[in-house]
Amino acid sequence: MERRGPVGIRFEAVSKLYGAHAALDRVSLEVEPGEFLTLLGPSGSGKTTLLMVLAGFTRPTSGRVLVGERDVTRLPPHQRDFGVVFQSYALFPHMTVAQNVAYPLRMRGRPRAEIARRVEEALALVRLDGMGERRPDQLSGGQRQRVALARAIVFEPRVLLMDEPLSALDKKLREAMQIEIRRLHERLGITTLYVTHDQREALTLSDRVAVIEGGRIRQLDPPRLLYEQPRSRFVAEFVGEATLLPIARVGGGLAWRGRPVRTTRPVPETDPLFLVLRPERLELSPAAAAHGAEANRFEGILEDLVFQGESRLAEVRLEDGTMLAVRLPAGPRGESLALARGAPVLVTVAPEDAVLVGELP
Amino acid sequence: MHRTLLAAAAALALGVGPALAQQKLGFTSFGGAYQEAQRKALLEPVAKELGITWVEDTLTGIAEVRAQVRAGAVSWDIVDLGLADCAAAQSEGLLEPLDYSLISTEGFDKMAFDTHWIGIIYYSTVLGYSTEKYKDKKPRGWKDFWDVEGFPGARSLRDYPTPNLEIALLVDGVPKDQIYRVLATEEGIARAFEKLDAIKPHITVWWKSGAQSAQLAKDGEVDMLSIWNGRLDTVIKDGAKAAYSYDDGILSLDCLAIVKGSKNKDLAMKALARMVAPDLQANMPLYINYGPTTAKAFETGKITPEMARISPSSPENAAKQLVIDARFWAANRQKLQERWDSWKTR
Amino acid sequence: MNPVPTAPEAVPALAPAAAEETAAALARDARRERRAALALALPALLLVGLVALLPTLWLFGLSLVEGESLSLAHYRRLIEEESYRRIFWTTFEIAAVVTLLAAVLGYPLAYWLSRLSEPWAGLGLVLVLVPFWTSLLVRTYAWLVLLQRRGLVNQWLLALGLIEEPLRLVHNWTGTVIGMLHILLPFLVLPTYASLKAIDPAYPAAAASLGASPVKAFWTVLFPLSLPGLLAGCLLVFVLALGFYVTPAILGGGRVLMVAMKVQENAGLYLDWGAASALAVVLLLATLVIFALLARLVPIERLLVGRS
Repeated sequence: MERRGPVGIRFEAVSKLYGAHAALDRVSLEVEPGEFLTLLGPSGSGKTTLLMVLAGFTRPTSGRVLVGERDVTRLPPHQRDFGVVFQSYALFPHMTVAQNVAYPLRMRGRPRAEIARRVEEALALVRLDGMGERRPDQLSGGQRQRVALARAIVFEPRVLLMDEPLSALDKKLREAMQIEIRRLHERLGITTLYVTHDQREALTLSDRVAVIEGGRIRQLDPPRLLYEQPRSRFVAEFVGEATLLPIARVGGGLAWRGRPVRTTRPVPETDPLFLVLRPERLELSPAAAAHGAEANRFEGILEDLVFQGESRLAEVRLEDGTMLAVRLPAGPRGESLALARGAPVLVTVAPEDAVLVGELP
Repeated sequence: MHRTLLAAAAALALGVGPALAQQKLGFTSFGGAYQEAQRKALLEPVAKELGITWVEDTLTGIAEVRAQVRAGAVSWDIVDLGLADCAAAQSEGLLEPLDYSLISTEGFDKMAFDTHWIGIIYYSTVLGYSTEKYKDKKPRGWKDFWDVEGFPGARSLRDYPTPNLEIALLVDGVPKDQIYRVLATEEGIARAFEKLDAIKPHITVWWKSGAQSAQLAKDGEVDMLSIWNGRLDTVIKDGAKAAYSYDDGILSLDCLAIVKGSKNKDLAMKALARMVAPDLQANMPLYINYGPTTAKAFETGKITPEMARISPSSPENAAKQLVIDARFWAANRQKLQERWDSWKTR
Repeated sequence: MNPVPTAPEAVPALAPAAAEETAAALARDARRERRAALALALPALLLVGLVALLPTLWLFGLSLVEGESLSLAHYRRLIEEESYRRIFWTTFEIAAVVTLLAAVLGYPLAYWLSRLSEPWAGLGLVLVLVPFWTSLLVRTYAWLVLLQRRGLVNQWLLALGLIEEPLRLVHNWTGTVIGMLHILLPFLVLPTYASLKAIDPAYPAAAASLGASPVKAFWTVLFPLSLPGLLAGCLLVFVLALGFYVTPAILGGGRVLMVAMKVQENAGLYLDWGAASALAVVLLLATLVIFALLARLVPIERLLVGRS
């Protein structure tokens, strides 16, 4: 089989209705050739439905799906030539690892020698050399995951789809697999659509992340931009940790409970308006150090200080009762800050870190 | 509850007690129209005469009698059994000996009773045929049953060696009085099976029960079959287009006997003696077309000439038929059944 | 104030005597639990022993007695009498044919039911089960009425001009197989359905994504995974068919002789318990042999539970 270049994917106003409920609401999305794009959203957001529409297992109610220039909306799944990794792996329990990996090649009627060679290559690629004769139930979770991956790529599909492939693994294994998937993607350059509800995984793996909620794409950006410039309250809360404070427009400026808030970033024109406070972008100091009525200063009481290894997390109760999380480096710098529970403290944020968002766009 | 007790007490006080003190006697037969006829013809008159109450039950054959006797839990007194079962039950010791000082055998064929049993009805295995299928030329006798060219059509025989072996030998030309002499020899049995070979491919159904044979005749499932005359009478009465004659009929009987260990042996003996008497036997044809086992019954005046004409055991009809030998079958049943199964599965 | 690091051995060890006492008490607890479990199972074990095992052994004993003495005569007769060989052959032949037809008819039915969504699947299952709720005798007679010479089936076929003469559908081998098939079909459909239903829908989806057409996906994935259920169903049907009595007696027209009918004849008519027992024992052994052979192909507990 000759190597084919990666292809792009285009969703054009794809809707999927279940009765009156829209699992997908006119979703349009373009995936670049060779791109690693993640669909991120809470459960029930429609992210898996979108993936299943692309794979051909779910028939959309309206809209079109194009792969390269070809309309695949009505193409049966087995003719789509996509590698799919399922959440449950779906390794065939009655076949050995090698038979599982050979399956797509067998379905394509490849010669026996070629199948053997390519199965071996694929298993080597996922570091499972010599495991071909085992049965899926003799493998660990991570190994099964890698077999599923090998099976999905062995026939050099034009597109790789992964549906929460790591959700069944423990944290450590998950992180190791993330690196492996990243490495594989770099090596194969295959257009990849990845579904997860784990924002951290999405940020780690993707070229771009599409945040989905209520059957719509709420934001589509590279990870860093998504994290630093959330465009809505939903994205700000869903991606990374954040505390949101309601902001009022006062005269020409902004204020939280009468205290001025300043930002160097763009301010949305819609109301209501929220200030996004990321724990690691905040400064904590003893209240005694407070002076004047400068902007972006929030007074509160230190409720708790939790040791978390690489950092400490301070819980500060603001005057209106809002709990604000502040991350302090655990090194000597943080240690020098001698604070006791119940002490009055001051939290500040720099104007360039003060992100303002509105409700859902 | 209280009311019943009060009524009983009152009845005793008033001296109508004897009705409650009546003795009970068990009678077990094959149920259905047959037992109903027995109830009216035999049981009710005997109950009145002897002042007893009947406790009726039903059975399917010797197995239940055997179970009661073996278990030492006999709850029946008088039972009605098929011919071969009568002889078998006697030889297995399941029956009380009959007291022939009380029971009269006048008018009985010598084949129709033994030390422990006595015949109560005659029935005949006859050749029944569809009058729809055979409008002009009617089959008469078993030779016509074997004539598949002259009388084409679906046929059915009973799925037991008896009375098919007798029928086969009749067809093969053995005179009636020689049948059992021939069957007593190995060659005779082989001869009967050989004759059966000729008809076997043309048998559509081998019937097992009387009800089944009646159903076959009624549904028109077959055009010609061996069938008990009483069963066919009922079917014809129900409107089936069928007929039979007693030519070449095979007469068989049901017997009455007293179960070994009966708790009312003496009373049962008295009742049994009355039931087989000509005057009561003569009642039977009024309710069902089975024949009395004593020729004396036809002299009581109860049986009209019309009834006698269709009765299987009227002297005129009995003369055309062969009487089955119960002793032969009791002795050879299992051996011949094995051979029958073997022959049939071949 | 700097906390002082604590070494693990700072926890005081239990005194040896106390440690032994605790260990003994724990062992007692474990024994008590095992005894309690046994006590719970005891009534069932006794019942099974009493109503299943004991009579079977009794039967086996009876088969070895001829008259008053021990003898193999009953078994010798089974071997020497040609009719018994033919009866066994008929029995196994009919059981095999019924099993095969049940599989061919029942599998697609189970497959179709497993694809249905609620409430249709439930309704379908109920319809499959309806025959269980009518007496076997009634169903068998119903077939007699349908299939006989002037029965509904023949009347329709004649009316439609498809046949000239009524077909011989009953009182023979064909009628017996039809009647038994009808009665036994649910025993195949249920385990097969359960097994199909237990298959993760991701498997066929994965097969499709890997390039398998629906037909290929079925044969390479769904069918092999449902095989334990199908085999369990086949085994049930086969074993039940071996013991059939009423249906061949009514629909066989006296031409189909199966072992159970012969057992009844021997025991009921001739009081020949020895011969009847020998027949039953041979049938039981033959069934066990088939079971054992099958168990080598499929793990037995998987077969009985009928799961993939």
